[in-house]
Amino acid sequence: RRDGERREKRKMEKTVLRNTSLGAAAATSRSVRNRNALGVNTNTRGNRSTNNRLERLRVSAAGGVDGQVKWVGNRRKLDLNKAYYPLGEDVDAQKKVWYVVDAEGKTLGRLATMVSMYLRGKHLPTYSPSMDTGGYVVVINCDKVAVTGRKETDKVYYYHRVHRPGTMKTETFSELRDRIPERIVERAVKGMLPKGRLGNKLFTHLKCYGGSEHPHEAQKPVDITSLIDKKPKDADLAAVRQAVGLE
Amino acid sequence: MASKAKILRLAKGFRGRSNSCISIARERVEKALQYAYRDRKNKKRDMRRLWITRINAGSREYGVRYSDFVRGLGAQQVELNRKMLSELAVNEPGSFKALVDQVRFMRGG
Repeated sequence: RRDGERREKRKMEKTVLRNTSLGAAAATSRSVRNRNALGVNTNTRGNRSTNNRLERLRVSAAGGVDGQVKWVGNRRKLDLNKAYYPLGEDVDAQKKVWYVVDAEGKTLGRLATMVSMYLRGKHLPTYSPSMDTGGYVVVINCDKVAVTGRKETDKVYYYHRVHRPGTMKTETFSELRDRIPERIVERAVKGMLPKGRLGNKLFTHLKCYGGSEHPHEAQKPVDITSLIDKKPKDADLAAVRQAVGLE
Repeated sequence: MASKAKILRLAKGFRGRSNSCISIARERVEKALQYAYRDRKNKKRDMRRLWITRINAGSREYGVRYSDFVRGLGAQQVELNRKMLSELAVNEPGSFKALVDQVRFMRGG
């Protein structure tokens, strides 16, 4: 019991010290002894050490600094001379924004361009080519996507079951649309995503559905259909900015 | 020419026999050093491309393309470089929005 009392007393002393201005000043001091006395993290292995990571996760889980979890810059100490690189918690799948696009009557390629941009994260200034900073995109009404000209009957999809000469199969756009309508949009978007491990992972964040129902209502996806093919001046991005946490 | 020990030390982390067998390691280390030389110069180019992509995304969120944004900043003699602009876009969105608003105002909304 005496040990417990001493521990309590020491803990209180540390809290008091930290909360005074003297403590705050000493907390920023580099001396290990000072920081140990205050219970501040003295682990000098840098950003990647476990203690620092857990501390940052704790901060972001608690709502971040000033309660602004979503926007990156508010969550950690600023060092403007080091280029921003996302940490694990920035690309956490739980924090990703969901978007929904209605493909009915939209031109296939123009739709796929925008979808791949949002999947990759190129609509965000926190974009990093080596990390998955994008969101999830749900595409509905895939069977009503449009193509111009004579592509409905003339656009051909090739595939192999057996990779041997003479075994290539073909089917036209309208045939594939009758068979598996989701594959049309998936194929278009996959061709626009980077190829490789990261590209494959991004592709799994695309959810295509042939009808107008989708099972992701719980994620409250943001509707970005109106942004297809719009110049930046005319695009109404207020909803996206709000979803990302900018305003 | 460096000793075998030096080469094997440089070859740490290489795949397969390249990190243990000297004749293979020598080739891979030579290549690695050539890549390092080349990429020290490429890094500067790559970073600038990344900053530009980030600024583009950040300004498009407010309806301005990168080309118009940079042109507007130049016309108003804002000398911030792309590195700082991209860092503002990530860490200080309020300041970045102020810059974009300034450009938009100058171009007439």
